[in-house]
Amino acid sequence: MDGIEKNKGLIKKSERGFRVLKPAQTGFSSPATHYAEPRIDLNEVLVKNPDSTFFIRVVDESYADFGIAEKDVLIIDKSIQPKPTQLVCVTKEGVFEIERMDFDSKEETQLWGTITHIIKSVL
Amino acid sequence: MIALVDCNSFYASCEQVFRPDLKGKPVVVLSNNDGCIIAANKEAKSLAHIPMFQPVFKIKKVLEQNNVVCFSSNYTLYSDMSQRVMNTLREFSPLVEEYSIDESFVDLSGYSASRVQELATEIKDRVHQNTGIPVGVGVAKTKSLSKLANRYAKKEPKNDGVYVVDSEEKRIHLLKKILVKDVWGIGRKHAVRVESTGAITAYDFSKLPVAWVRKQMTVLGERLWRELQGETCNELVPLPKSKQGIGTAKSFGYKLNEYGLIEEACASYVSEVADLLRQQKSAAGKIEVFLATNSFSDTDKQYRNKVVITLETPSSSTIKLTKVALQALRKIYRPGYRYKKVGVNLFNLVPDNKVQFSLFDFKEKIECEALTKAIDKLNNKYGKNKVKVATVGNREKQWALIKEHRSPRFTTQWDELLTIGKV
Repeated sequence: MDGIEKNKGLIKKSERGFRVLKPAQTGFSSPATHYAEPRIDLNEVLVKNPDSTFFIRVVDESYADFGIAEKDVLIIDKSIQPKPTQLVCVTKEGVFEIERMDFDSKEETQLWGTITHIIKSVL
Repeated sequence: MIALVDCNSFYASCEQVFRPDLKGKPVVVLSNNDGCIIAANKEAKSLAHIPMFQPVFKIKKVLEQNNVVCFSSNYTLYSDMSQRVMNTLREFSPLVEEYSIDESFVDLSGYSASRVQELATEIKDRVHQNTGIPVGVGVAKTKSLSKLANRYAKKEPKNDGVYVVDSEEKRIHLLKKILVKDVWGIGRKHAVRVESTGAITAYDFSKLPVAWVRKQMTVLGERLWRELQGETCNELVPLPKSKQGIGTAKSFGYKLNEYGLIEEACASYVSEVADLLRQQKSAAGKIEVFLATNSFSDTDKQYRNKVVITLETPSSSTIKLTKVALQALRKIYRPGYRYKKVGVNLFNLVPDNKVQFSLFDFKEKIECEALTKAIDKLNNKYGKNKVKVATVGNREKQWALIKEHRSPRFTTQWDELLTIGKV
């Protein structure tokens, strides 16, 4: 309310009777004007390929050995070809699992996507 | 060259990306309100006794006996997956025509002809890798030929989902493999006419005299005929055309007779279509409202009616359109029936900035517009439908669609994510 009242005071009639919408700018312009940048956008950092990126939530402690805990959210990029020992999401007999990429593995698994980040809440 | 990229059983494939356990199993997707089957994967289609577009309650037993997995339609998911596929296609070409939710034409004129075969396979593989959606790719000089090539790519197993018409021999081979009635753009009536000349395949059709084709099938038929010869008549349209009409009609989850509830549903549909209208920056000149009982029921008394109201000035304001729609609804509502469906259609769409105001509704228009803008802004910030016209109410549960088997919206809702764990 205060702000509006104050602004009201600033809207004046000019000498010829026109309303002046904005007061003329006064003071010095900020020295930072030319240095301003957009804030960090996590999407830009964590999701390089939005069209092939999917999120999966972990619901138990099965993958504690990988440093992945319950409630963590995995960021998975299906477009990335994994390198050996990288964490991947696979399907084994129709069930999603997390593994380290092992090209010599004899197990019948199918690659679903490469894990790029793990989001952990520590609250 | 133009590629037609078409997703295989798109809705079912979307579901299967997130359900690897369903690999190789029959999957169907049901229409709004779980009324009938609108999509089926290859495994379900091979069960010949499952008829498409049949009310589900009539074939429930067959579905159960064959262990067919049924999903309610999850258009939120399908639309996001569709965007992913289309965007992946844009990595190959700046000119992509989104022909439908699961089909796109891709302009490949920037590539040398010798690379196209390899490229087509690359497109198929990359879409599958990035999104998990299997696609078929047909490539040819014209849209009509690429559509046929796509069909043949999928139909003939040895093509492995890709067929490129890069020589005259292959064009003729393709045309000889497609029946007249399966040619894109030849309707049932015209197919009968063409077949009456003794033509069986698309090749036979392409050998008919062009004068005959123009006379019997108008200029559209002639264009198709020319396209099958390899002569371009239909260019790619990069941007979707603004729609001529926008509408929605959904069955209620339950049969309704209370006017208030029908009114709520109607108002909610108006706000849905008005949103779409504003997204394409149009205003509607006419609004149609219709109301119907369940025509499948043998016991219910039957009634259906509709009314069209012409607006003094075309509008895109939810408030204005709701007001008019509810006037219309009051005109056709009769007590004593069990209603199944209400629908709203907007016609005579004009670009929003070309609306001519009459002298008197100018003020109303400006006010409505400002209010609608403010509401859109709030809803964008705080979530869909947080601010709505009061008539919409909050008894949605009493009329909204039944979507008993809808999968989670895996890619658009943070609390519906895919989960992983052994327990």
